[in-house]
Amino acid sequence: MRATQLLISAGMALAVMTAPANAAWHSYISRQLGFSFEAPGEVKTQIGTYRGSAAGPKQTIVYRSVDDNIEYKVTVIPSFHQAQAEGANILGEREYTFMGDKKVLMDTFGRVEPGKDSVYGRKMTVELPKNGGRTTAAFYFTKGNLITLEATVLPANGDYTSPDPGRFIDSIAFVLSRTQPGATELQAPEVE
Amino acid sequence: MRAWTLAVLASTALAAMMTPASAAWHGYISHSLGFAFAAPGELKVEKGTYKAAVGGTHDSVIFRAVDDNIEYKAIVIDTTAEANNAATVLGEAEYIFQDGKKVLMDTFGRVDGKFGRKLTVDLPNKAGRTTAAFYFVNGRIVSLQATVLPANGDYDTPEMGRFIDSITFYTVRAANDATELTLPK
Repeated sequence: MRATQLLISAGMALAVMTAPANAAWHSYISRQLGFSFEAPGEVKTQIGTYRGSAAGPKQTIVYRSVDDNIEYKVTVIPSFHQAQAEGANILGEREYTFMGDKKVLMDTFGRVEPGKDSVYGRKMTVELPKNGGRTTAAFYFTKGNLITLEATVLPANGDYTSPDPGRFIDSIAFVLSRTQPGATELQAPEVE
Repeated sequence: MRAWTLAVLASTALAAMMTPASAAWHGYISHSLGFAFAAPGELKVEKGTYKAAVGGTHDSVIFRAVDDNIEYKAIVIDTTAEANNAATVLGEAEYIFQDGKKVLMDTFGRVDGKFGRKLTVDLPNKAGRTTAAFYFVNGRIVSLQATVLPANGDYDTPEMGRFIDSITFYTVRAANDATELTLPK
């Protein structure tokens, strides 16, 4: 009996040790770009590119982390200040481009902040081609910035109904007083 | 046999006479607003008011026709003052349109390089079904809405789609004999 209990305890300890260690979620803020979000793992900053008919060619700022085979990505296309009246069109084009020929599982309204502070956008979930995983994304255009949050559950994770993508895309805040205390300030590199 | 044939012909003619006469479709254009569309029946112009938390309160112009118990409306809301918040102002208008209603369709709309949204909702209390399209053009929300009323009852009619898909923002694509819309003072 005692041997069985020892065996069970050892097995449980082994299971805990071999399970993927999920990183703690942390809050990030960009006062310059006017938003904050939460993500697990170490967030790194990159510069990318985007091209759309309405948006034109643009450099993007990408904040990215990977944890437990889920990729978390915030892409900001700043400097639409001269074209804010085209914001609805630029946002619609970005959503349409994201969807492309993928299988759409969800496509619904996104709304962040209450009342007069509301920012309306879109939330979508798509399956990536060739069993490449599943991406849940949110799109917003506010104050001249096009902001996209994408969480992709990779096949190596395989838990396509994980709540973590939802937690990520719903963590965005535009009223910065809502940001968790102790948030890390994100650097915004200069882009064209 | 001849009497039987005559009776069939007479009843066919009677049925044709009793069918509601659908009015011809006609093109309409507003050069000042920058769009054109097609609708059946006689188009009338009304003034309205639009209220939203973010978008604010604004005057609207409604071009409205009713034919065969389908109501066709082209609504133009002047949100020029909020144009810098275009994406949210348009999203809010779409949200208000579907709020509390049963949504049957919610998909992309894309016309002449403008991205928008097309939605179909069932109205509360079995008041009919509305298909609508929303775009933001030149500082204005432009929405086309076709409502099949219960008196018509054919909720799958293609007329709703024909109406909302008739919009164009390239006025050169308007019908050659399109009528210029008169804006209320």
